[in-house]
Amino acid sequence: MKIIATYNIKGGVGKTSTAVNLAFIAAQNNYKTLVWDLDPQGASSYYFRVKPKIKGGSRALIFGDHELDGLIKATDFENLDLLPADFSFRNLDLVLDARKKPTQRLKKLLKPLKKEYDFIILDCPPNISLLSEAIFEASDILLSPIIPTVLSLRTLEQLKKHIKDSDLNHIQLIPFFSMADRRKKMHREIMGDLNDKHPEVLSTTIPYASDIERMGWERMPLGSYVRKSPSTEAYQELWKEILDVI
Amino acid sequence: MTAIPLHFELPENLTAKKFLAKLSKKLNIQVADQQYTIKAFYDSFDWRLYNARMICEFNYSQKKSQVRLIDLNSGDVLAIESLKNVPRFYDQFPTGHLKTHLAEPLEMRALLPLCKLPYEMYCINILNKDKKTILRIQLEEYEQLTNQLHLLPLKGYDKTVKKVSGMLQKSFELKPTQASVLKEALKGHGRKPKDYQSKLDIKLMPGIEVSKASKIIYLQLLQAIKINEAGTIADIDTEFLHDFRVAVRRTRAGLSQIKYVLLATEIAQYSEFFAWLGEITSLTRDMDVYLLNYKKYKATLPVSLREDFAPLYEFLKEKQSQAQKKLAVNLNSAEYKKQLLDWEHFLKKSLPKKGKGSSDQFNIKKLSDQRIWKVYKRILQEGGSITEKSPAEALHDLRKTCKKLRYLIEFFQSLYPEEDIKTILKALKGFQAVLGDFQDYEVQEMSIKHFSEEMMENKVPPKTFLAMGVLVQYLDSMKCKARNEFSDQFVLFEQANNQRIFKKLFAHKSSVKK
Ligand SMILES: Nc1ncnc2c1ncn2[C@@H]1O[C@H](COP(=O)(O)OP(=O)(O)OP(=O)(O)O)[C@@H](O)[C@H]1O
Ligand SMILES: [Mg+2]
Repeated sequence: MKIIATYNIKGGVGKTSTAVNLAFIAAQNNYKTLVWDLDPQGASSYYFRVKPKIKGGSRALIFGDHELDGLIKATDFENLDLLPADFSFRNLDLVLDARKKPTQRLKKLLKPLKKEYDFIILDCPPNISLLSEAIFEASDILLSPIIPTVLSLRTLEQLKKHIKDSDLNHIQLIPFFSMADRRKKMHREIMGDLNDKHPEVLSTTIPYASDIERMGWERMPLGSYVRKSPSTEAYQELWKEILDVI
Repeated sequence: MTAIPLHFELPENLTAKKFLAKLSKKLNIQVADQQYTIKAFYDSFDWRLYNARMICEFNYSQKKSQVRLIDLNSGDVLAIESLKNVPRFYDQFPTGHLKTHLAEPLEMRALLPLCKLPYEMYCINILNKDKKTILRIQLEEYEQLTNQLHLLPLKGYDKTVKKVSGMLQKSFELKPTQASVLKEALKGHGRKPKDYQSKLDIKLMPGIEVSKASKIIYLQLLQAIKINEAGTIADIDTEFLHDFRVAVRRTRAGLSQIKYVLLATEIAQYSEFFAWLGEITSLTRDMDVYLLNYKKYKATLPVSLREDFAPLYEFLKEKQSQAQKKLAVNLNSAEYKKQLLDWEHFLKKSLPKKGKGSSDQFNIKKLSDQRIWKVYKRILQEGGSITEKSPAEALHDLRKTCKKLRYLIEFFQSLYPEEDIKTILKALKGFQAVLGDFQDYEVQEMSIKHFSEEMMENKVPPKTFLAMGVLVQYLDSMKCKARNEFSDQFVLFEQANNQRIFKKLFAHKSSVKK
């Protein structure tokens, strides 16, 4: 069992799209998979058409004694379940802060689910916060989508430094390029540059594509409304490469 | 919480189409798929899945095919996987929940198709207002059976299940039923679940004559031989031959232990036939055992030598396949068929009214008491005289005597209280295990040495022999371990409580005196 967090300090880089589409592929390959939507905006819950609501909200989650299992919803896809978001997650940081050992909390909550699932994918909100500290503690893998911009190099290095400074040795950081446009000279140059300095960046990139953008309209994972396209292939490739490196 | 019914039978005259039309007035439904489908049931020859309370269904249509494992008691789907066909052995399944569920009950047995049923399958989704599926329904329209409906609950949508289940019962008057139509499907083929098992299940009345009882026993053993014959010849899995051989051995034990019924010439003729059967099947069985043990053997090696072990596997496979070919020729021979048929005729021939003297004056219970008591005492005596210095043969002889006792108890167990039999069989099995281990490890150790000599001629790399050397050492240490455990196990077997039960069940006043 592996816990994978799709994480980036920055917003709108493709974390949710990655979480949803990779989970879909994993499930199709007979891995029991759970997506946990930790973002109060509830984007991944929305893609799976599940109400972004959990009983008791953040407080019940962090202070309550019920188990996560009771909050899980099956999606429309075999082997793929969802733990929905809740609007109250916008206060998750404060609620966590009021607890003893706040950064251990998610890890503890997830423990009983390890038997049940082969992969648990955490769809994280952007920022570095107490919640992201807790996510780091719980995760085996930080899967980090990067848009090839001039600032992306700095963001990646910041994240690496943070992992190192916080002694998060259990974490495997896996960056990859997201929303990349190979036709743009700048994208190509930045990707080449980054690949040289950071060989751990995956060789698969997710292109900027209109069929991926359409997910919000279709409200389902890419693979369930597009049978085959460069985008579906890219996600398949990405999944394969991730399985290879973990 | 009382379980909510999930499986229903449709009334005779209600077609799937009509039902769906009615259902769509009450719920937001979407027919996701409709396919002419074949349902095939799978289990091992000896019903291992059914015994582990599981049913394995393979549903296939033009478009898709799925293996589904169902919990026999709850009807829950334990595992489901899209597969093009059903692999024969569990270890040929892709890694996943299905494989994990199958591994323990199946072990080395093959999954075989039991029977097939065609039906029209409707996959229906119940949607909420966001067009999210909140419950799945599978509707099966059969030609030969009443139509079936299954609710497939989705995690986190319990209320919907409850609501729809209630609605189906009240508004649609559907009757709750079982999770699988396995029983009905089998009935159509004149079969029923668990219609074969390896274990002997002989029911004898204490009063019947020895001759009658022994024929009942022999006929059941003959049945086992015949049932396993085809699978043995086809080498479907190792256990056909194993069960075949056990039945042969039991028959031989019967012939030597329950003598009085047959004429000496008859005994001689059939003993020879069954001895021959034992002989022509033994090499294949030995090779089967080595191949079954291969993984275990390999695990005993240091990692650095494991790769070098492969030539042994190839060698064993080749030898097994040669032996198997010979065995098949023998079991297909006219001579074999004639002898077995003779035996069957002989058993089915009505008995002469009065047997020839000594035996038939007492009933089977008397004979069984006597035989078991005698063999038991022999075990105590043989076992008691074994010391640390006794030669291996002494243990081997004792092992044979124990086997005799085991067969006798199994033949006659229906004559005695079940609990007592359970206790002494358990004790005996534990004791036999250590004797069996001792013998097996010794034989294996010797065989591996022989194999290495044969393999010398095949240009096998030297590291393979190194690996085999390590294995021999392991087998030797296990043999010594078994030898050291012997005295403890004997003490356990010999303990007062067991003696008391044996005495209570089998000791005749006349024989106790002595
Ligand atoms: N490869 C892509 N090509 C085109 N559009 C994309 C691609 N990936 C994501 N998008 C779109 O970009 C937007 C942001 O993507 P997404 O929600 O996956 O990012 P995010 O990192 O989870 O954002 P947030 O930080 O808000 O949670 C969405 O509208 C999505 O449909
Ligand atoms: Mg997001």
